[in-house]
Amino acid sequence: MTTVNLQYYAQMREQAGSSGEKLTTQAGSLRELYDELRTRHGFSLPADALKVAVNTQFSDWSRALDEGDTVVFIPPVAGG
Amino acid sequence: MSGFRIAATAVDLAQLRDSLQHPGSGGFCSFEGWVRNNNEGREVSGLEYEAYDALAVIEGGKIVDEAMARYGVLAAQCVHRTGNLKLGDLAVWIGVSSAHRDEAFRACRYIIDEIKHRLPIWKKEHYLTGDTAWVACSHTERAHEHEAPHVHHHAHPRPAEDAGAVAAPPFRPDYSRQTRLREVGDAGQAKLAAARVLVIGAGGLGCPVLTYLAGAGVGTLGIVDADRLDASNLHRQTMYDARDIGERKVDLAARRVTALNPTVTVETRTQPLHPGNAAEVFAQYDLVVECTDDLGSRYLSSDAAVLTGTPLILASVYQYEGQLQVVSGKPGDPCLRCLWPDQPAPGVAGSCVESGVLGPVPGVLGTMQANEALKLLLGLPGAATTDLLLVNLLDHAIQRLPVDPSQGCRQHGGCREVARRALEQAQDDTDVDVHFEHLDEAIAAGFRLIDVREPAEIAQRPIDLPSQAVSSGKITEDTSVFAGGRVLLLCASGKRSGHAARLVRGQGARNVYSLAGGLAALRRRPGRAAG
Ligand SMILES: [Zn+2]
Repeated sequence: MTTVNLQYYAQMREQAGSSGEKLTTQAGSLRELYDELRTRHGFSLPADALKVAVNTQFSDWSRALDEGDTVVFIPPVAGG
Repeated sequence: MSGFRIAATAVDLAQLRDSLQHPGSGGFCSFEGWVRNNNEGREVSGLEYEAYDALAVIEGGKIVDEAMARYGVLAAQCVHRTGNLKLGDLAVWIGVSSAHRDEAFRACRYIIDEIKHRLPIWKKEHYLTGDTAWVACSHTERAHEHEAPHVHHHAHPRPAEDAGAVAAPPFRPDYSRQTRLREVGDAGQAKLAAARVLVIGAGGLGCPVLTYLAGAGVGTLGIVDADRLDASNLHRQTMYDARDIGERKVDLAARRVTALNPTVTVETRTQPLHPGNAAEVFAQYDLVVECTDDLGSRYLSSDAAVLTGTPLILASVYQYEGQLQVVSGKPGDPCLRCLWPDQPAPGVAGSCVESGVLGPVPGVLGTMQANEALKLLLGLPGAATTDLLLVNLLDHAIQRLPVDPSQGCRQHGGCREVARRALEQAQDDTDVDVHFEHLDEAIAAGFRLIDVREPAEIAQRPIDLPSQAVSSGKITEDTSVFAGGRVLLLCASGKRSGHAARLVRGQGARNVYSLAGGLAALRRRPGRAAG
């Protein structure tokens, strides 16, 4: 089990109902983590429409999770 | 009868005044312009007016009509003199009668300001010293553009016939507060004066961008915007007033920029850039600031920036947060597609209309764009970053994420190659959107209809013509539905159908089109839901 800090932006923040949370997960990779979160929060965006960053660096979806990682999901936004 | 005429001889004022009598009128207001004895420090002995009569009468009539419609007054008349006039002679007369006094005053003011601005009338001043000079009458201040009492930049000499007015000196900008910065100085100011910056979108982001760049003395500002001002814009688009509603933003923005800094040259475009001209337009500018709420425009701008090597400052907002990214246009630096390779389907990225936004949020992000623009133009420290900046104004968190170019377009041939292909594809697809006023015209033209709306939407507003339903999210699942003949995809607004049509064209189905503007753009016929 790994405990990570999650941050949500834009419509993901809305769908999750908060701008972040601490989560203990069995997910082995960012992709698995996102799949878990989609079920949990009903995120409408597929992973390939998003960017993911870990500890303020953009990451690959296959990256493994480390204890205490801060994971940020970033969708493109359009407002002006 | 036209409310405007040109008179070569003296005018009968009593008769004019009587012509404005109206049983519903509770007020009458008139303005008289007289020839005064000085202009810009020179003693004037008389004036000569010359008009292009035919055009002046048409345009003058329009102005009077506009004033009547705009302020709801009951009657208005204007006469402009031509020929030789002596000191104290009447040069122009305007009279307005209305139910209440306020609109009479305003309409009167509107007419004189517009006449000074728009009428093909030229004025030759005769000086006591014996010489003469033609004086331009245009570019006078128009009070109705900014009726707040404190915004009065008397940028131009006031017209000579405003008797008693003290002529203000020509506006000279004072940039001392920024040239005092060691990194700016006179050399920096000269760079700004020589700079050409294009601002795409004059909305929530564009307002602070244009305001600050004009104030800073950027020599030329290009403005692109196709929209007209709506009441729902005013909470975040701070350049505009309630009375501007319905006017083209690009015109309002141009006037505002000129009022703020008359030394700025403004170039306006009322049509959005398109794949056919984006690169060509970008190449005319030193820097572009992307301020639209349109993802398509953002991707087009990124491609054009990469292809022309023009630095681009992107920003977008969502509710209480925003993103900022600088595309430098330099080989090896990342672009928008390095982050999100393809434009997301409509509805995936929220817009201000759909998701809402707090007014100051685009204000903050637009201000940051203006700051980045000045940093780039001046070559200030920190200007070279291409990090993606995430700004959350609820908890004040700002995250800087370095973009690794090796993880982006480089895997698909590099930003340039990716941009070139994207523009080419977009140009190929310019015929995707087709216009019809009624759907049976599409059928008569040989199109087969596919409705890409969700089942619930179709149930709510069915189309009573033969069509097949394939929701936009599933459009690429079975390409056999497109086999044979021309196919027209349709949705509520044309956005989803346009995106879907481009997707399936990308899969080789070149016979697929989209109903431009969607069902919303069709003409309604009585007794029919749509068609
Ligand atoms: Zn790129």
